[in-house]
Amino acid sequence: MKEKFRIGSTQYCDVLVIGAGGAGLRCAAEVFQRKPGAHVVAVTKVAHPQKSHTTTAQGGLAAVDPKDPIDKPIYHMFDTWKGSDCMADQNILQKVIDAAWEEIIWLENRGMHLSRDVDGKLGKRTFGGHTVNFGEASAFRAVYEADRTGKGIIDTLWGEALREGIVFMNQGMATELLFSKGRCVGAVIFRQKEGEFVAVLAKATVLSMGGCGQVFRVTTNCRQNTGDYLVLALEAGLPVMDPEAVQFHPTGIVGPGILASETLRSVGGILRNKDLDAFMVRYAPKMKDLAPRDLVSRAIETEIREGRGILNPDHKIEHVWIDLRHLPDHVHDVQIPEVASFFRKFVNINPKKELCPIRPSNHYHMGGIPTDEFGRVEKGPGEFIPGLFAVGECAAASLHGFNRLGTNSLLELITMGKFAGEKAVELLGEKPEEMPADAGERTFAQFSGFLGTAGKASLGEIRQTMQAVMTEKVGVFREAKGLQEAISKLEELRERTAEVTVSGKSLTMNQELIQCWELKNLLAVSMVIAQGALNRKDSRGGHFREDYPERHEEFNEHTLAYMTEFGKVVFGKRPVDMSLFEAKGAHYEKFGMIERKY
Amino acid sequence: MQENYDLTLRIKRYNPEEKRSWMQEYRLPAGRILRFTDVLRKINDEIDPTLAWNSSCEHAQCGTCSVQVNGKPLLACELLVENAVAQFGTTTFTIKPIPIAPLVRDLIVDLEKAYARVESVKPYIITPAENRNKGGEYQIPPQVMDQYVEATRCINCFCCATACISSHKNFLGPNAILASVVRLMDPREQAREERLKLLYSERGVYRCHTSKACSFVCPKEIDVAHFIALAKEGRFKR
Repeated sequence: MKEKFRIGSTQYCDVLVIGAGGAGLRCAAEVFQRKPGAHVVAVTKVAHPQKSHTTTAQGGLAAVDPKDPIDKPIYHMFDTWKGSDCMADQNILQKVIDAAWEEIIWLENRGMHLSRDVDGKLGKRTFGGHTVNFGEASAFRAVYEADRTGKGIIDTLWGEALREGIVFMNQGMATELLFSKGRCVGAVIFRQKEGEFVAVLAKATVLSMGGCGQVFRVTTNCRQNTGDYLVLALEAGLPVMDPEAVQFHPTGIVGPGILASETLRSVGGILRNKDLDAFMVRYAPKMKDLAPRDLVSRAIETEIREGRGILNPDHKIEHVWIDLRHLPDHVHDVQIPEVASFFRKFVNINPKKELCPIRPSNHYHMGGIPTDEFGRVEKGPGEFIPGLFAVGECAAASLHGFNRLGTNSLLELITMGKFAGEKAVELLGEKPEEMPADAGERTFAQFSGFLGTAGKASLGEIRQTMQAVMTEKVGVFREAKGLQEAISKLEELRERTAEVTVSGKSLTMNQELIQCWELKNLLAVSMVIAQGALNRKDSRGGHFREDYPERHEEFNEHTLAYMTEFGKVVFGKRPVDMSLFEAKGAHYEKFGMIERKY
Repeated sequence: MQENYDLTLRIKRYNPEEKRSWMQEYRLPAGRILRFTDVLRKINDEIDPTLAWNSSCEHAQCGTCSVQVNGKPLLACELLVENAVAQFGTTTFTIKPIPIAPLVRDLIVDLEKAYARVESVKPYIITPAENRNKGGEYQIPPQVMDQYVEATRCINCFCCATACISSHKNFLGPNAILASVVRLMDPREQAREERLKLLYSERGVYRCHTSKACSFVCPKEIDVAHFIALAKEGRFKR
């Protein structure tokens, strides 16, 4: 039994990418471009990189075309700043948004099948929160591949990685980051199919591990998004930034929480309540259904709380409608075929003729591992961990502050991924580090613990209870009492996990064992989100406190949360970068702490 | 229309240590609108936590959860209980893994090995064609893109490869051919010779027997057989 828990083999490479989605593979592509023949290993939890969660992203990629007669990058920066509820870092805004168009062309030139207008040039669509002239009118800013833009991105990047000779490790999970003399030298990976632990040592390690939506009962996130990245960071003594910044997407399909893209609203879909009232005009008189997601989510939840929702008999969940009946066939069949098919397939209704049931669903984590504008991981403000990068949803640079606009996430993958690749390449001349003596100790203690417990507790029941409590008390609306109750409940659930028995003792594709590990991560992530939400006594973007419904100056900084022991969170702060405001250039006043009304 | 159904699932199990296969039966009530992935999860939570099965997005976008239900290859996340009962005319379902890759455990196969056929056709631009719009996007008229855009929707779920009546050892397979055809029809790809060589090789289109099972089972409703037919009629030999 004992010899299961050892490092089966050690590999050396130039760059280790953990998470083979859009951000990780864009980073790898940049490394290959600057150093052809580089040895890059990409580990993914899913069966194959094409199955990464990036593939499910629907709506589009925001970028201002320099040839656009009306749109300008500064409008995009303003929209993102305002959308973030004044918590995005302005140096990141500038760097990402200025690089955006070039990166779109990079993808297109490598074969992405972006949709076209009649002249064969890239088509553009509007999206929530994106405007021209500082909020005057909707901007046609997003390029798109029908309603499967994420799939287009991952297919293109996977192809590029293949061509350049990347090494993929599929169905592998990083269980522990390795450090030597203060620098990150790689990770311990558990290979699920083979049932063995390996060490991969690298000159640069890039975390691109996605999101943590599975802490909630209703989420658009895939099964593998269990927030492992947050725990890797926390266990290594690193902070999580803005853990309480969680986005609830307004239109999740009732029941499974499947994402019904914002595209539905950008092509003209209308939200209606029980009385068939188009209620968004009351909450966002100008942008209405295209207001930012946190606003629309709160609007829908308010309609439901005030008795204007509809109760779904199968799932016993209250919801509102999205009305697509008035849209022409061309729109249904060509612009929104995938999304419209979700209502047909998962609810058995026809969106051309019937109203579609939707409700806010957890969707995205704005918070994450704090980094600078190159994705370099910070231990504290300005203090970096050499050799460690984080990009994409798992990181917080922060591009999105406390609320993300649609089409900005995909943009983040292909820009921050590239910037991290630029810097990772600079480390390739380093001498490879030796394996730390205690490599794997923490992993083996955890895994042998899971296999060694005996009790009657049910893993599924603990997970469901955690998800329910997070959805009810750490969801769209939060307040002190509910948050404290959630925190107590999470402590109790953590203790109960010690009584879960894993019946199969093999390491080979033992899903029970993997779920134990994931549950440990989910509980830790839930705890840090709940505590972050309790600590932040104001409301920003996706974080809304009913007991503190306004923005407070005291909280005009990012939250940093450290948790090396379960439940014991130590808080710090990181200032929000205000370089656009401080530069006093044209329109600088738009980048102060502005009002957020739509 | 019932609210709940009493299901009997006969699932093919496989233990890799003992290299042993057997059928295991599970009986449980399931709500009408649950997906089969929800039902498998219910089995794990309430009856048997050791049953191993693969999934990711659970809404038919990633192609991870392919299984055979009563002989038909499909995505487990797309099969709703009430639709399954209506379509198959029974509440008893036999669930087996797809046979196109080595078994790992129970319903999980090594998809990485299955992807080898797709990767052999080089699903990327090998040699970029000249771009007259230097520094910008290639201009592709929508009528040109319309010819092949359906084929780009493939998620490599391997349902077509499972249904295909040709051997998956000696044939590229329908989804790999689709990937190759996409780039042959994409005006941005200049490398045609090597693609055509593989397409018309011993492992290529002549192994297709035009059963059209691929089009019939495709969860994305792509007419895979149409694209293979274009190849067979020599459409790409310029």
